Amino acid sequence: MIGKKRTRDYIAKGINYFLLTMLALSIIFPFYYIVVLSFNEGQDTLMYGNLMLWPRKATVENYTNAFTYRTMATSLGITVSRTLIVTLSGLLLQSMLAYALTFKTLPGRGWISMFFYFTTLFGGGLIPTYVLYRQMKILSTYWVLILPSLYSVWNTFIFRTFFNGIPDSIAESARIDGASEMKIYFRLILPLSKPVLATIALYIGVGIWNDWFTGEYFILMRDEIQPAATILNKLLAQSNFSSSAARNEMVAGAGSSLFVNTTTTTTESLRMAFIVITITPIMCVYPFLQKYFVKGALIGSVKG
Amino acid sequence: MKQGNAVPARYLPAVKKLPLWKRILKHRAIYLFILPAFVWFLIFCYYPMYGLLLAFKDYKFSRGILGSAWVGLKWFRRFSFDPAFWNVVRNTLKISVMKLMLTFPVPIILALMMNAVPNGAYKRIVQTVSYMPHFISWVVVAAMLQKLFSPYGGLVNSVRQAIDPGAVAVHYLGEGRYFYWFVILSDIWKGCGWGTIIYLASLSGIDPALYEAATIDGARPMQMIVRITLPLLYPTIALMLIMNLGNILNVGYEQLLQIQTSQTQHLAEVIDTYVIRTGLTSGSHSYATAIGLMKSAITLVLVVAVNKISDRLTGISLF
Repeated sequence: MIGKKRTRDYIAKGINYFLLTMLALSIIFPFYYIVVLSFNEGQDTLMYGNLMLWPRKATVENYTNAFTYRTMATSLGITVSRTLIVTLSGLLLQSMLAYALTFKTLPGRGWISMFFYFTTLFGGGLIPTYVLYRQMKILSTYWVLILPSLYSVWNTFIFRTFFNGIPDSIAESARIDGASEMKIYFRLILPLSKPVLATIALYIGVGIWNDWFTGEYFILMRDEIQPAATILNKLLAQSNFSSSAARNEMVAGAGSSLFVNTTTTTTESLRMAFIVITITPIMCVYPFLQKYFVKGALIGSVKG
Repeated sequence: MKQGNAVPARYLPAVKKLPLWKRILKHRAIYLFILPAFVWFLIFCYYPMYGLLLAFKDYKFSRGILGSAWVGLKWFRRFSFDPAFWNVVRNTLKISVMKLMLTFPVPIILALMMNAVPNGAYKRIVQTVSYMPHFISWVVVAAMLQKLFSPYGGLVNSVRQAIDPGAVAVHYLGEGRYFYWFVILSDIWKGCGWGTIIYLASLSGIDPALYEAATIDGARPMQMIVRITLPLLYPTIALMLIMNLGNILNVGYEQLLQIQTSQTQHLAEVIDTYVIRTGLTSGSHSYATAIGLMKSAITLVLVVAVNKISDRLTGISLF
């Protein structure tokens, strides 16, 4: 009887491991497949089909072309600079706001919190926001990639929860010695907050890095300031609608078109290389921040 | 959970008994910390709320928001008589309900499965891999789908034709009958790992003594899951359900914009994408604002109502 039970438990365990392994493989495979295609000669893929689990004719030409194709190269530059600027200033601004909101003696604290919290429940929505950008004259400028992304109430809450866990006794003696709040914040609080800073940096950074929407709808006719995600979106949207023959002839950014005059690279292989280039930085960073962002996700979802 | 669990811990010394203006003066550095945020939220969050007036006006950019002519409820009347709009509402609810029924339980099941695996390299790797799709954009997911399912040399069609040379390539992403499956499965693929985080945390909080006692009483693993683990997970599940029910009109427009094709667009059009298309692409600003306003208002009411009901019934609420 006991033996029978054990066997059943072992089978259940085996099934569990099998299913988890299948899930992991089903997640990895599309990534792997894109990488394979990106390292295969484009013409070869076009002529002999996509049926491969290893590059048939390995080449790095797709990558060298992606980096020299001007629209792609500039868009990568825009994405990198935008991610750096928004992440760094966002970290500073959001953590300062959160720190201020942890002062229990602050007159009007309830109203101030409500002022920020309410924006998570209700907002003007897309069109009034668009009208605002238009009136501010930041449409189709680099500013639209920066300014609207500086604050996030959720991140501020995560910061605040973390700061609440730092005992105030640390700052008290400094305060008695006459240190300013600015000094306490920069010298005492921030150095203790590395885990939460890493978490929020990842959240902001990934969000900005992957944001194709802003460029798509708020930047018109100016490919030179489009972020990489938007350029990628434009390239892929094109291949969705064009026929198999035509789509391999041209690489067209919005309005401009360009013939890839190399022997082996096609539009498709170029796209694959570009996808791999844009996702590699994130794939390299997130596993190392795992123990931090898991905590952040918890605070975020409970508050959310 | 209630806001109460975030009690601010910081005090400035000896300010409690001071008159208000002195207290404010004492905190001037703190107000300075808040000032940039105050300005930013006024501009980027509250000004667009004022911009909602557009919904009741015939907006002309040259005349500004205030200067444009009032038209009352013209735009609200227009969309309520517009069959395209009701199709969009139907699609929104359909996708939302499908996601609630099919996507929502997956992280719970997955968390239970992961929880059954002892800590170690295998578990760590599976977890890290499962978070991976959360960090890429829908643009990339759509590209992957295209590479796998396209009729022009997509992997699935290539495999089919390698097995049976006479097989006709199927445009899976262009066929209406497969579309919602792609929506659900890609949603699960992208989010199920990330979704386990909150459940795994609750699971790790369960006292191991409960399982030990159950083992002594002869309980089998499946029984323990049903009798111990699930009941202890209910508060977390309820919390997640509240959030999902409140957001029933937000169905993930990025996903739908990305995985639709020209043949499936009528199935993928939801309120958010309809606002984008009519407002930004076609330029009917006031009409799209009216639809957006209606959606925001319903969502606000839903979030508050769901919270109230849940608070009354179970004592669980977000605020």
